[in-house]
Amino acid sequence: MKQDLSNKIKLGVFVTLGVAVFIIGIYFVGERQQLFRSTFRVSGVFKDVAGLQAGNNVRFSGINVGTVESISVVSDTSVRIEILIDEDTRKFIKKNAVASIGSEGLMGNKILIISPGIGTKNQIEDNDKIATVQPVNMDEILASLKTTIDNTSNVTSDLSKITHEIQTGKGTIGKLLMDKSIANNFDSTFVNLKSGSAEFRKLMEKAKSSWLLWGF
Amino acid sequence: MEKHISHIAGNENQMKEITQGASSGNFSNSIFKKFFLEVSMITIFTLRFFKEVWKPPYEFNELLRQSFLIGYKSFPLVGITGFIIGLVLTVQSRPTLMKFGAVSLLPAMVAVSIIREIGPAITALIFAGKVGSGIGAELASMKVTEQIDAMQVSWTNPFKYLVVTRVLSATLMLPLLVVLADAVGLFGAYVGVNLKGSVSFHLFFSQVFQSLEFKDVFPAFIKTFFFGFAIAIVGSYKGYNANKGTEGVGKAANSAVVFGSLMVFLIDVVAVQITSLFEN
Repeated sequence: MKQDLSNKIKLGVFVTLGVAVFIIGIYFVGERQQLFRSTFRVSGVFKDVAGLQAGNNVRFSGINVGTVESISVVSDTSVRIEILIDEDTRKFIKKNAVASIGSEGLMGNKILIISPGIGTKNQIEDNDKIATVQPVNMDEILASLKTTIDNTSNVTSDLSKITHEIQTGKGTIGKLLMDKSIANNFDSTFVNLKSGSAEFRKLMEKAKSSWLLWGF
Repeated sequence: MEKHISHIAGNENQMKEITQGASSGNFSNSIFKKFFLEVSMITIFTLRFFKEVWKPPYEFNELLRQSFLIGYKSFPLVGITGFIIGLVLTVQSRPTLMKFGAVSLLPAMVAVSIIREIGPAITALIFAGKVGSGIGAELASMKVTEQIDAMQVSWTNPFKYLVVTRVLSATLMLPLLVVLADAVGLFGAYVGVNLKGSVSFHLFFSQVFQSLEFKDVFPAFIKTFFFGFAIAIVGSYKGYNANKGTEGVGKAANSAVVFGSLMVFLIDVVAVQITSLFEN
């Protein structure tokens, strides 16, 4: 009988422990999704949410402060998102705060980033509509990159033509760099200049001794 | 109830005929017959459980005693297994994540694996090995030594006293064991992470709960009830319908483990399909 009682107590401890671990686990999982905290809701309209999903984190100054609650298409050009933000951070988020969409690392989940507003002291209120910045779409980046690449290819092909002509001695610069006769001409010019200046020097020496220039 | 028993007894006789038929040559035909007969008998057995479980008198003390034996007594085994699985999974996953430079994702990845699949599946298999075979062998030896028949004569309902209590306590205890095994497994993972790296307990803890969502936790938890139920019902069925003789006991214990484990995987594959249906 005593053994039976102690077994029952052991069973009781076991069950309590199991249930406690389960409840604590559920609490912490729920805590992340902010089920047990007081939150407030704001919304924003994007043209394109770039893969943001309900449940993604909301960051303010790099800290997770909330989650994306729902995403719905409003019209053909706008998507409305509802976000839940921790009540404690309300005082830091101003009415003119701006929401943008970023991602956690290169391959990570999408996140909603709220940049604090400046120049106003009015706190954000429940169900306020937050200003948004359209995310930079990867396709747009690629499209603009394509124009850049096309231009670059034109430039490089022109450049290759020019360098080819320079190398074959065509054009002014080509002649200047590649034509040896110019260099020879320069050479002889310098030789002439040199001898000319030597003659000039002799002349000047003679002139010094000339009586016509005495007194200078 | 007597009708049921006579029905099952009738099935047993049919089974013997079929088994004899198998040895006399008509092999493939009898294999199929044997399979379908087994399915029908186990279905009747399960339906009988659901019929008997609501009917008073409730064997409450026996339920507690069985819960102690099935739940509390299995915890050391399940705990050690959980710890080792958590540790080994972490150490084995590290090189792969290192290739991608994503070692910091290790706690999150291991947590999701343990909670969603490894914890429930490994615990259920260990449970099938320990409890399923135990139930099978115990009931089979009672059947062989005619204790079940004796209970019948003394106006105790053996099905209620032996089967209902065991199946109920296994159904209720396995989820608890899985929760505790998950917790111990995560601790094992923490040790595993710190064998070759350095992650504080606080960081590990917050990374684990960052990665988990309700859709990871609840389906995994709910399926463990089905695991426990299936293991115990298969074990009880095999024991309750054991053949006479010592050979029958061994056979009952053996097939309780084999079919119990198989049932765990079958339920698992159904559960994963249902879960993914709701996720999309």
